[in-house]
Amino acid sequence: MEEITIVITSIAYAVVLIITAPLVAAIIKISKARMQNRRGPGLLQVYYDLFKLLQKDSMVSPTASWIFAVAPFVYFSGAFGAATLLSGGDLFALLYLLAAGRFFLALASLDTGSTFGGMGGSRELYISVLVEPVLLLTMLTVAARAGSTKLAAMSAVAAITPFSLPYLLAAMAFLIILVTETGRIPVDNPDTHLELTMIHEAMVLEYSGRRLGLIFLASACKQLVFILLFVVLFLPWQPGELSPVMAAVWLSAKVLITAVALAAIETSTNKMRLFKVPGFMGLAGMLALLALVAQ
Amino acid sequence: MIVEFLLYSLVFFFITGVLSPFFIRNNKLINYIAHGMAALGSLAAVLCAIIVFSTGKLQILTSLVMFGEAVYVRVDYLAAYFLLTVGIVGCIVSVYAIGYSREYLGDTCRYRVMAALYNAFLLSMILVVCVSHIVAFIIVWEIMALTSFLLVNYEHEKLETSRAAFIYIVMTHVGTAFIITAFFLLANKAGGLAFLRLIEAAGSLDVWTKNAVFLCALIGFGAKAGIVPLHIWLPRAHPAAPSHVSALMSGVMLKTAIYGLCRFYLDFLGTSFAWWGALVLVLAVVTAVLGVLYALMEHDVKRLLAYSSVENIGIILLGMGAGLLFSAKGNGTLAALAWAAALYHVLNHAIFKSLLFMGAGAILQAAHTKDMEHLGGLIKRMPYTAVWFLAGAAAISALPPFNGFVSEWLTFQALFYLPQSLAGVTGKLFSAFLLAMLGLTGALAAACFIKAFGIIFLAKPRSSKAAEAEEANKPMLVSMALLASLCLVLGIWPEYLLQIISKVLTGINGINAGLAFAGTTWQAAEVHAGTTGGSLQMPVVAALFLVGAIVAWGLFRVYGREQVHKGETWTCGIVPTARMEYTAIGFSKPIRLAFKSILRPQHETVVDLSPNRYFGRRLSYHVSIVDIFSATYRPINAGIIRIAQLMKPIQAGSVQLYIGYITAITVVALILSTWW
Repeated sequence: MEEITIVITSIAYAVVLIITAPLVAAIIKISKARMQNRRGPGLLQVYYDLFKLLQKDSMVSPTASWIFAVAPFVYFSGAFGAATLLSGGDLFALLYLLAAGRFFLALASLDTGSTFGGMGGSRELYISVLVEPVLLLTMLTVAARAGSTKLAAMSAVAAITPFSLPYLLAAMAFLIILVTETGRIPVDNPDTHLELTMIHEAMVLEYSGRRLGLIFLASACKQLVFILLFVVLFLPWQPGELSPVMAAVWLSAKVLITAVALAAIETSTNKMRLFKVPGFMGLAGMLALLALVAQ
Repeated sequence: MIVEFLLYSLVFFFITGVLSPFFIRNNKLINYIAHGMAALGSLAAVLCAIIVFSTGKLQILTSLVMFGEAVYVRVDYLAAYFLLTVGIVGCIVSVYAIGYSREYLGDTCRYRVMAALYNAFLLSMILVVCVSHIVAFIIVWEIMALTSFLLVNYEHEKLETSRAAFIYIVMTHVGTAFIITAFFLLANKAGGLAFLRLIEAAGSLDVWTKNAVFLCALIGFGAKAGIVPLHIWLPRAHPAAPSHVSALMSGVMLKTAIYGLCRFYLDFLGTSFAWWGALVLVLAVVTAVLGVLYALMEHDVKRLLAYSSVENIGIILLGMGAGLLFSAKGNGTLAALAWAAALYHVLNHAIFKSLLFMGAGAILQAAHTKDMEHLGGLIKRMPYTAVWFLAGAAAISALPPFNGFVSEWLTFQALFYLPQSLAGVTGKLFSAFLLAMLGLTGALAAACFIKAFGIIFLAKPRSSKAAEAEEANKPMLVSMALLASLCLVLGIWPEYLLQIISKVLTGINGINAGLAFAGTTWQAAEVHAGTTGGSLQMPVVAALFLVGAIVAWGLFRVYGREQVHKGETWTCGIVPTARMEYTAIGFSKPIRLAFKSILRPQHETVVDLSPNRYFGRRLSYHVSIVDIFSATYRPINAGIIRIAQLMKPIQAGSVQLYIGYITAITVVALILSTWW
């Protein structure tokens, strides 16, 4: 009985996450626009876009097979599953659920036989190969202290850890991962449709209509999952004991700050060459290792 | 009683299988009888293992007397576990072989020998895990090596194949030499050749013998398992054999080497030392990362799969190494976790790797090429093969809810707790390094199998052969479907297999399996040392995944059904062709560049100007990657050749001289014997 309650609450969490995820994407977009002296879209524009997409019909290449049709669903389920595991699941399970989504999306990118798709898939996997070991190293700085890879145990330990230099290093390392995993400048550019620079956008270039809507929603959800991981594990500080409502407000404030920070990073740097990414990841890896040793 | 009966009937089935090709005229009939017998024999092996696990007794059968000693056939839990692995895969591969061998029926003479050898090979693998006597073990081990050598050499008129077979037979015999050394070092101390004596003597071994035996076993079985740098034969030999044999070699034969290692490290050597574990871990991580990197760079499907076997052996060894380290430091519970990870991955890899090799065989038979650059679009021509291959690819990439994820998760957990047995910064960094490398391996494996599936099955066919491919026949599809569903079952309900594994590990020195699997489910493995470990409920994960899919479907249908319009892929106004698609080489290029200091790719671009100087020039691009460890063999090769040159004068070729040698040696031997 208890287990079922846990499962239902975590599904509820995930639903909340899915609903708010586009909002966070919108906040990033708007604050980026403001920083670049543009007006930017309204706060609800993302939702309008989403509903528009969910009403539209699809254009599908005759070259594509059922993989192309199924991939958005798997990608979405992966992001959704990761969101459910956020409250009480296991770290490795969360990462591998996201990997399952990426697996299918990369396959779909090859399915239409377009050069752009293949290029996007190839680059996405290249980035994922570089990110994966560094991501684990960074997570390990918290998990090793918690003695567990359960996210609940990790966040509990993070909450009682006093501020220290290793913490700062680990947080910086994870910020780099966050930028990379969410496909943002300087690694990828979510706004580009220029063939030489796109990675994630190139992968999903052939999608239209409802499936594109699902992919968009899943990407936003994945982004929020990573932002939450960052906020909960690497920015755990809060003023004393808080009531659940205040804790939620506090958490939202931190998410908001992170979103604005992401926009600031995107505005202040330019995209790096694809083959400079290993060095960037190496930097994150070094920071994580330092944090691990200094603990 | 019933186990004895099953074992005898198993041997009877296989012997019938070996003999039938020589006594039956009709090739089609041979196909059914020989492979049917192999399937029955494997089924008997599976039943035998199941009975051993359910009755819970160690089964000992005295069968014959050799060298003045009784040779036992003994199926204990460890043997039964590997018997299960060999049996399940052997049975399903034999069904596949019925379909796959149809292509070979034309070549009567060779086909018959192959069918007979196939049975002998499978029988020898089953016996390797059952016999419990040094001499018997080595004889069966050698039969296994020789039959597989002959099967690899099936297309011996191809230079490449015969070279591969030659390298294989040399490497496997180097291994055998070390295995024999390890055995006789032990037998010398134990004063007997039966395994039971060796186990009894385990406690009384001195440190030097233990270390020597450990290293000899590691090298000996490592050569068979394909541990880097002893793996060079593997990517050559496995692809050369007919596909159903490749499936057995990669899926099962490598596991017999793992069985040998388990037998030595769990039974014969007693308590382990910490440096053993550390050494195995280092070798394992190198094997895993290099194996998968080379796999990713391949564009020959079967070679890709063979390299990926090297990687998976690395993952198995990661579990074993951690297990050795934990039990050396007296951390029995964690040792059980680590060994469970290794053993779980043994069965997992056996299942999905043979599935993938069977898929590769189906592709090879349909499109007559193993080169991914000439394949493509097969998902439309071979829809079922595509689904089963995809299941295998997802399982080997450790995607939940498939079985690969369970064993990878257990390995992650085992490595995560490494600092509990290795105190200080060293332990922390070692554990972090291993985890990061396992993560890298996982990501590379996913990339590798996305490439394999994507290039082979998706987009437009890249050659007319691929465009005209036809779906595989029924026995092949059925057997692939069976293995694919096993992947899913073992992924969603792992607790049954884990209970079996905990039985295997119970009662072994330094491993506290009882505590690790105390509860009814395997999540109990987390309880130790006062901390709560990660836990995983695969049915829940699978259910959450399904809920996600339902939510997605709901969103998809909020506004009713969609209409799908057909529209050709946009290629800037040109009619899209297969030449515009990404190639296998192109797909892995970013990763190749990122790891170029390890891979050292040699590439060349050839420009053919002859058709037209300015427009429509023919360009071709070649990349070759040489395994860095094949270079380490060059000095050894050169040394052997130099010694052979020195020995040349002795081998003059005259009979009188040889008789002289024999006489001289006899005299020396006689003189020596009088001194004793």
